[in-house]
Parts: sequence; structure tokens; C-alpha cells
Amino acid sequence: MRKILDGLYGAAEWLAMAALCVIAILVFAQVLGRVVDTVFALFGLPPYGFLVPSLAEIAGFLLVGASFMALAGSLRGGAQIRVTLGLAAMPEGMRRVAEVFVLVVGAALAGFFFYYAAKLSLDSHRFNELSYGIVAIPLWIPQAFMALGLGIFAIALLDDLVAALRGRPASYLANEDGAAEEL
Amino acid sequence: MDLLTISLTLGGLLLVLLAAGLWVALALMVAGLAAIFLMVPVPPGAVMATTVWGSINSWDLAALPMFIWMGEILFRTRLAEDMFAGLAPWMRRLPGRLLHVNILGCAIFAAVSGSSAATTATIGRMSLPELRKRGYDERMAIGSLAGSGTLGLLIPPSIILIVYGAATEQSIARLFIAGVIPGMMLAALFMGYTAVWSMINRKRMPEADPRIPYLQRIWQTRRLFPILALIVGVIGSIYGGFASPTEAAVVGVVLSLVLSWFTGTLSRATFVDALRNASRTSCMIVLILAGASVLTVAMGYTGIPRALAQFIAEQGYSPYALLAVLTLFFVVLGCFLDGISIVVLTASVILPMVEAAGLDIIWFGIYLVIVVEMSQITPPVGFNLFVIQGLTGHNILKVAGMTLPFFLMMIVAVALIVLFPQLALWLPQTMLAR
Repeated sequence: MRKILDGLYGAAEWLAMAALCVIAILVFAQVLGRVVDTVFALFGLPPYGFLVPSLAEIAGFLLVGASFMALAGSLRGGAQIRVTLGLAAMPEGMRRVAEVFVLVVGAALAGFFFYYAAKLSLDSHRFNELSYGIVAIPLWIPQAFMALGLGIFAIALLDDLVAALRGRPASYLANEDGAAEEL
Repeated sequence: MDLLTISLTLGGLLLVLLAAGLWVALALMVAGLAAIFLMVPVPPGAVMATTVWGSINSWDLAALPMFIWMGEILFRTRLAEDMFAGLAPWMRRLPGRLLHVNILGCAIFAAVSGSSAATTATIGRMSLPELRKRGYDERMAIGSLAGSGTLGLLIPPSIILIVYGAATEQSIARLFIAGVIPGMMLAALFMGYTAVWSMINRKRMPEADPRIPYLQRIWQTRRLFPILALIVGVIGSIYGGFASPTEAAVVGVVLSLVLSWFTGTLSRATFVDALRNASRTSCMIVLILAGASVLTVAMGYTGIPRALAQFIAEQGYSPYALLAVLTLFFVVLGCFLDGISIVVLTASVILPMVEAAGLDIIWFGIYLVIVVEMSQITPPVGFNLFVIQGLTGHNILKVAGMTLPFFLMMIVAVALIVLFPQLALWLPQTMLAR
């Protein structure tokens, strides 16, 4: 079970990282195209006019994918920010109660958000909503990645809730305290 | 429920959730959902999904992970050592010495990054260990870092100025140009305070490094030149109208990779590490933006910000009194909301009032950003404080205390901008004259 869950978080994070790489590659291709045109213009040649179609929209979609697929990894890596001031001031027993409380609230919120994000994606699919650009992309695809990322986020929060209830330290605590590495 | 009760309820809910240790982004979302649930008969979940989708699905926002990634790559190129080796010999005669590297480093990095959190994190991760190693006063090291880290908001390219420009239909290029002089002025104020402090507290300053001849200094600075070229390239391409911020950021990523390859620090491990960290950090910031967008929509439903602004408008103040009240209002609001939400929330509400008072909209944008910068270093939701908490392990109240003198310098900056509006308006006017 542990292996399956870690594999899930890892795979989601790799997808997020791949999405960032694709943004960089597409945008850089567009810039190179413009540089080539500028050089052509210097020699009095007509511009080649290389264009990555619908780049702005695609980059926006990839950003959504990258951000939501990274949720679980960023939670477990301790990158998600929270106020630890109150926790630090609490006695041990109360801190454990607070930890369980925020994990319950977090998991419930993530599950709730997942449900409505999935609904948004299903509605877009049902009404066949497309993006406006030259390349019409069905909106349900990036929206499905938003929902998927939220689902994995909810699982990661439940994972840590189970750990907290069993009296084990949550995954993010290891990196949160010595967060100098992370941020 | 009347507005006062609902405001107190929501504020209390947010405070309890934050204090219990709920992640900031999620706390903003819960407060937003509660406000929608209490005030309007619309399904909160559906509003949340469409709002977040609409606010994150953005070409301009794609600059965020790219600028963070660029910082992560540069961080792994021994930029810290280069920055110190390069800047340190020139700071020797200045009272405050290497503390100024913090401020200048932030100002330089702010010129390639639109985010104060990224600026603080990148420069701090480089400078704090170096300053500690050389025995500099920790209060000053952390305070100057937190203060000058906020320069990322003012010195172009600035994400928050883009947001303001879009919300108020002002030229983003003019806003960028308007931010240049106030940004440099703020850096000068920070350096001035640091110099005065170190002249008064000579005993708490470590020994100066030995003097280095000029030719050798330039030789030591040589490794900074590629980075300066990178900065000039990234800013120049935006200023020259050749690239949008997202494009400039991607060019920055590619050039940083090239730089990293030439200095022999690029490996499979550092590449993946940088990318993973960029992914996690930008995910954190994007989730907070998502939470803020939910809260923003919810606040719009409740009408709380409108009522607050109306209340201020009804008092019939002079422009100076108005600005004094607004400054206080924004700083208080900044204790609970992040800068981008403040700008979006108030731009449409406050603006008619600002225009009626005869204030310039471009000028008001610069003023607003400086005030938002101040809110970046006030607890409990001060972004830079969180970043430094992450860097040093000191809790945010302690960091806020160390930052207080620099907060006061920012109040001086706001006063100067109010008294001499030309500080912000002169450069854009010369741009128009051409």
C-alpha cells in the first residue's frame, strides 16, 4: 500500500514537472521564431512567421495541470505554507489534536473541491466546450487534470490523517522544520 | 446577518484556522466558502471550481513557475559565492559593508523576478549563510533581507503591477517605468538606514575584509558579468517590447541553464532538483492565489470591502488624510489578504474615489504597491516573513520584529511618494514626450 501511494504521488509530480518543461519548450520555440524573423528582417528578407498556435491558452492549461498535479508532492515535501506559530506554542497533546483537526478540514475541503472540479470537467465534456484559439482544445481535458490533482491531494491528506491518528509523524513535518532546504 | 457580524465571524474563522495550522491557501478557501454559504443562495462548490479554473488558467501567471525555476537554477550555479566575491570588495568602504550585498542583491534579483517571495528566497538562501559565516549581526541580516526582498514587487518586471494594470486598464509599460525610480529610492533608503545603523553600532560589526586593489576587484567581479548580462537581457527584452514577461522568463530559464552548463554545475541531479523545487514552490503560490481568488469572489458577494471603502469615502477627507487612512486600511487588510487579492479587491472599489480626489491612476498604482510591500512584512499573512521563517527557522513574529526598522523606512518612502508625486510620474512623462 505504501509503495502504491508513493508511486502515485511520484507519478503526479513527474507529470507536473513535465508540464513545466513543455511550457518552457513551447514558449522558447515561439521566441526563437521571432528571433529568426528579426534576423531575416536585418537582411531584408520577408519574415518566416513561425508561430506556436494558441500558445497563450496552451500555456495556461499546462500551468493548471502543473500546479494541481504538484499538490500532493508539494504537501509531502513541506512546501505548502502554514502558520506554525500557534502549533509551536501548544502542548504536545493539543498539538496532535490540532494536527488531526487541520488534516480533517484539509481532506474534507480537498474532497469537496475534487467533486466540483470533476463536475466542472464533466459539464465541459457534456456541452463540448472548446477554447477560443486557432487550436480548439476541449476544456474538459485540462479541467480533468485539475480534478485529478485535487483527488490525489485529498488522498495524500487522508494518508497523513491516518498516520496522525496512528500517532506517527505527518509526512510534511520532516521537511517543514528544517525548511531551509525547501524554500 | 448584518455586515459587522459577518465580518467578525469570517475574520474569526480565518484566524482560528490559521492559528490551528491549516495551510494558508486552504484557510482562505474555507473562509471564502463560508462567506458564500452564509451570504448568497449560490452553490459554493461550483463557484469555487469555476473561479479557481478562471484565475489559474492564465498566460501571464505562467511567468511565475518560470521565474521561480530560473531562480532555482541560478541558485545551483554558486551564485552566492560569485555574488559575494563580486560585490563584497566594492562594499568595503561603505558603513554596513556586506549587509548592502543583501539589499543590492535583492534589487538586482528583483529585476529578473516579479515576486517578492522568490526574491527573498533566492537572495536569502545565498546571503544569510554567508553573512552568518562572517559574523554579521543576525537582526540586521534578516531585517535587511525581509525589507529589500519586497523590492521584487516594485522593480520591474512586477507581477502585481501587471495585475493592477489589467484591473484598472492602465498601460503596463508605463506602470513598469513608473516603478523604476521609487524602487531605486527604496533601495537607497534601506542602504542609508543600514549605513547609519552600522556607524552607531560599530561594536556589533565584524572586522572588514582586507582591502583589494581595483584590478583584482574587477577580476573578482568577472563571474558576475554573465549574470548581469542575463538580467539586462531579461529586462531589456521586456522594456524593448520584444518579449512578454512569460517569454522573458522562459528565455531566462534557458540562459540560466546555459550559464549553469558553462560553469559545470549542470547535471541530471541539479536539473531535476531545480525543476522539482520550482514545481513545489510555484504550486504553493498558485494554490494561495487560488484560495485568494475564492475569497475575493466571496468578498464581492458579501460587499464587505465595498462597505469599508464607502465608509472611508463618506468621511470627506482631504487627499492627504484620505491617503493616510487608505494606507492604514491597506496595511490592516494586508494582514489577512495577499497583495494580489488586495489589488484586485480594491482597484475597482477605491478607484472612483481616488479619481474624484484628483490623484493620478498610475501614481496610485505605485503607491498601492509600496503599501502592499509593507503588508508583505506584517504578520500574520506576510509572505516574506513565511519565506524567512522557512529559511532560518525563526518564527514570523521574531522575523517581523527584526524587520521593523525597514518597515519604518517604507513608511518614509510612502510619505516621499505622496509629497513628491513626480518621483513616480517623471519617467513615464519623458517616455510620452519621446
